[in-house]
Amino acid sequence: MRKLRSGRVIAGLLLVLLVLGCAIFARQFAPHDPDDQNLLTTFLPPAWSVGGDAAYPLGTDGLGRDVLSRLLYGARVAMTVALVASFGAMALGAVLAYAAGYLGGWVDWLIGRAVDVWMSFPPVILSLILMTGLGVGARNVILAIILVDWTRFCRVLRSEVIVVARRDYVAAARLVGFSHWRTVVREVVPATVPLLLTLLTLEMGIAVVVEAILSFVGLGVDPSQVAWGQMIADGRQSIYDAPWTLIAPVIAIFLTVAGFNLLGDGLRRNLDVRMVEGRA
Amino acid sequence: MSVLRARGLDVSLGALKVIDGLDLDLAAGRVLGLVGESGAGKSMIGRTIAQLLPRGFAVTAGSLAFDGRDLLRMPRGERRALLGRDIAFIPQEPLTALNPVMTIGAQLDEHLTRLGVADRRAAAVAALEAVHLPDPAALLRRYPHQLSGGMCQRVLIAMAFAGRPKLVVADEPTTALDVTIQARIMELMAELQRAHGTAVLFITHDLRLAAQICDEVLVLYAGAVAERGPVRSVLATPAHPYTRCLSLANPAMHGPPRVLYTLPEQMPGLREIASLRGCRFAPRCPLATEACERGPPPLADVGSGQAAACIRPQATRSIVAPPAPEPTGPVARGAALLEVSGVSKRFRTGSLLRRSETLAVRDASFAIAAGEFVAVVGESGSGKSTLGRLIVGLEHVSVGRIVLAGRDVTRPGAAVRAHRIAHVQMVFQDPQSALNPRRRIGSIVTQALEASGAARVARDTRAVDLLRDMGLASALAARTPSQLSGGQRQRVNIARALCNVPTLLVADEIVSGLDVSVQAQLLTLLQRLRQEHQFALLFISHDLSVVRHLCDRVLVMRAGEIVEAGPVADVFARPAHPYTQVLLASVPPEVETVYAEPAT
Repeated sequence: MRKLRSGRVIAGLLLVLLVLGCAIFARQFAPHDPDDQNLLTTFLPPAWSVGGDAAYPLGTDGLGRDVLSRLLYGARVAMTVALVASFGAMALGAVLAYAAGYLGGWVDWLIGRAVDVWMSFPPVILSLILMTGLGVGARNVILAIILVDWTRFCRVLRSEVIVVARRDYVAAARLVGFSHWRTVVREVVPATVPLLLTLLTLEMGIAVVVEAILSFVGLGVDPSQVAWGQMIADGRQSIYDAPWTLIAPVIAIFLTVAGFNLLGDGLRRNLDVRMVEGRA
Repeated sequence: MSVLRARGLDVSLGALKVIDGLDLDLAAGRVLGLVGESGAGKSMIGRTIAQLLPRGFAVTAGSLAFDGRDLLRMPRGERRALLGRDIAFIPQEPLTALNPVMTIGAQLDEHLTRLGVADRRAAAVAALEAVHLPDPAALLRRYPHQLSGGMCQRVLIAMAFAGRPKLVVADEPTTALDVTIQARIMELMAELQRAHGTAVLFITHDLRLAAQICDEVLVLYAGAVAERGPVRSVLATPAHPYTRCLSLANPAMHGPPRVLYTLPEQMPGLREIASLRGCRFAPRCPLATEACERGPPPLADVGSGQAAACIRPQATRSIVAPPAPEPTGPVARGAALLEVSGVSKRFRTGSLLRRSETLAVRDASFAIAAGEFVAVVGESGSGKSTLGRLIVGLEHVSVGRIVLAGRDVTRPGAAVRAHRIAHVQMVFQDPQSALNPRRRIGSIVTQALEASGAARVARDTRAVDLLRDMGLASALAARTPSQLSGGQRQRVNIARALCNVPTLLVADEIVSGLDVSVQAQLLTLLQRLRQEHQFALLFISHDLSVVRHLCDRVLVMRAGEIVEAGPVADVFARPAHPYTQVLLASVPPEVETVYAEPAT
């Protein structure tokens, strides 16, 4: 595990943990209820600028709701979607990838063509269509992301599985009497875990962006829930009068995605055998 | 004057010396062999000449002169002008040394342009003719992948000699090639070297191959010269214990069968060398005394042009191989354990529309008796590996019948699989790929027990037993494959196959790519295990001397067909098939080590 102590991994992990902490302890950290409207104090600027109020550290939006509190509660949706959707996409993609890469033949052909067809849809359009069909709600956002992004896992992992499955130790496991199931679980899967971890982390960043996009166009989570994409959509209308209502959620998304990407990239650099050997 | 001259050359990685105080002289028209096992530092010398040392490595002391000019301190541009023109290289992997997207003609043309040749096309054709390639004009239009490995190596040799270089550095030029091609490439190099009076630095791990072409050899051990001298006298009367042990570890092609000398352990790694104060060979040397630990021995003349880095070179001759054990007689041939009759294997390649079929194995029939060691020899592509995979069940036969221990195992099925698992196991060629890097050694060797769901305790006990059987410390059970040396990995590989006591072992090239001393350890191990466990062995190999040493019978394969079969002694003494004769003629001739202790 010592090799994981690189700058990228640590920076990424800190950012992700920061956002995760905000999401878990939103109730404790938030100075106000995110939905509390105070129509006497609309468009208050951040506390440090002229006319700011210390009770609203990042100012208020057009309905007088506290921006900081909304950001903290928005992290809940972002992180829930990021974690659940990524694991879901990984589960679906990985199972198909192991089947295709290990079994080969017509199974591989079938799964490979399915991925090809699936990937030829533009992902944003596909998710918008899915959301229109499924209706809004966090659960459906997660489902949409899983159904769109499993192909990422499947395609990358399949080629890795093919490489591993050709190794002699996999043949040796079969020869000493391992069943196919045991061979995959004990010999193939462990070799692909580093790649899987990396893909998973990168997918979390993507899921955050997708959730924000869907919420921005109003096809994301339930409107009663706070989501960063919604905040951006709201802030867009008053971008010249109250830019902080737009900038704050953008920065939140940026930091979260940067955190996942740094972590993923750091993991890839430290776990990918080819890259590690290349530096030696 | 020497074409290449090194004095006190040190190459270091940080504070660790990879090459320690190398002195070397190579005169015009001579061939100098650099011989050593992997890790001896022989390739580092070639890389130092090309100034292609890997990152972190640097020349830290000494001088290296080419034709009287200092190679290490000359300006970069001047050195670049020398490389490829006056100093040419013949690489180890011919297929990766040529650019796959350029025709042979374009690559030769590029090289000849650099050499400043006027009529490049004529020169290219002449160069290819000089290496005896048929129809050079047509060859110029072809791409490297359309040529065989041997042809690519010929093209590279043609390029190396095209500029009439003063020095050619050949780093293991035949390791990637088959024996019959190796023999022809060696002849070709010798011919060109004589014709042009070129000086050649020939880097190899094979003492016998060196004897074929070299005038002198330097035997390297752990970065330092162990022995130097005319190749024939070094082979016949080695003055350094290491050279003698190596000679005695090589199985012979002629003469009565003998026991191989096995050196313990392996060559020390970089870090271990740093902690050795005395002779680097002392920890493995059968003659080491306390005096050997005191300081590194100087390279001293021992007569007949030889020099050895040993304080008691006169004692070297007392090293002899252990006495042969009481002859147990030929292993009793029991009932046939494996019967292969009329087996063929077809592989389909290409797309649906342009489907082609290749016959990897064609109508093979043979039998193996219980406890018998049978070798399959042949060149790459002869189908010998496919034959092994058919027997263990990794491939299914297209035509024919395989009967194993009284049961027809031709068609796959659950019962057939269980029968196979109980009777036959395979040892794979490349232990790097054959051992799961994420498992501990103890878990690898008892994988067969994991499959049958044995208890943890039973597995641990069996692991210790197996490791002891292989001559490995039981502490290794907790390690991972990456922490083991090549020889240790191959033992683990064998241990896994033996876990459930199979009656037949299929071993695919299990000693190729290993150093001579490690190979001797493994061959001796296999012979001991044979006595203890009574298994039969199908030994797939390209090395005839190893086959002669280990096996009772031999099958010679060519292009998927078994062209000759019979007892090893008979086939090697009186080869009937022309291909077997070619194969046997390709083995480098031996210089027999003066074996007996001289009367004193």
